[in-house]
Amino acid sequence: MAERSHTRQMIGSLLVGLAIVAVAVAIVTAKFGSTSAAEREAEEERLEQREERLEERQELREERLEDGN
Amino acid sequence: MEDVIETLTRGNPTEVKVLLASVALALAVYQLVLISVGYGKVRPGFLAAAPAASAHRAVGDTIVVVLVVVAFMCVGYFGLEDDATLHIVAAIALLSVLALKIVVIRWWHRMGRFLPALGISVWLLLALTWLTSAGDFLANG
Repeated sequence: MAERSHTRQMIGSLLVGLAIVAVAVAIVTAKFGSTSAAEREAEEERLEQREERLEERQELREERLEDGN
Repeated sequence: MEDVIETLTRGNPTEVKVLLASVALALAVYQLVLISVGYGKVRPGFLAAAPAASAHRAVGDTIVVVLVVVAFMCVGYFGLEDDATLHIVAAIALLSVLALKIVVIRWWHRMGRFLPALGISVWLLLALTWLTSAGDFLANG
């Protein structure tokens, strides 16, 4: 009985430790924000795609203007 | 070595190091609570001294693994930089005291009476090592 109680309390203590790890990871990663390389790369990719779309639109506009003339 | 660390951390060696060091510090704070119960200084109704001491040992083993990984990353990627003297000295002292504590726990039982002092020293050195690197990074970017 005492053995079971010991195991249960120890598992509970380790689960609290896991919760502390999860909270620490959440706080630190939230603090990093967009400084992570993966997020930066995703942001750069989004910017590149936006620029490409703008360029395409610009080209289309110029083509239409040339056709109109 | 640098390439391996760069690949494993997907280009975020500093961030991963800061994260692991912060996890180790958070667990170290929890260790103080566990050992207070283990030594009977605090007596909560839901946790007895023996399981608290066992959990302290298990969490301590985890912290050692995390700290060794951080140390390898630190030396392997950043090397021994001149402007981080306090951090390097604190880290070397931390690993030395930690190694001594492990020796006392596992084999040198006669020195067991020094375990509380060794534990507090480990905690303080870990806090100093974290403050001079991860804490500084988190505060100032």
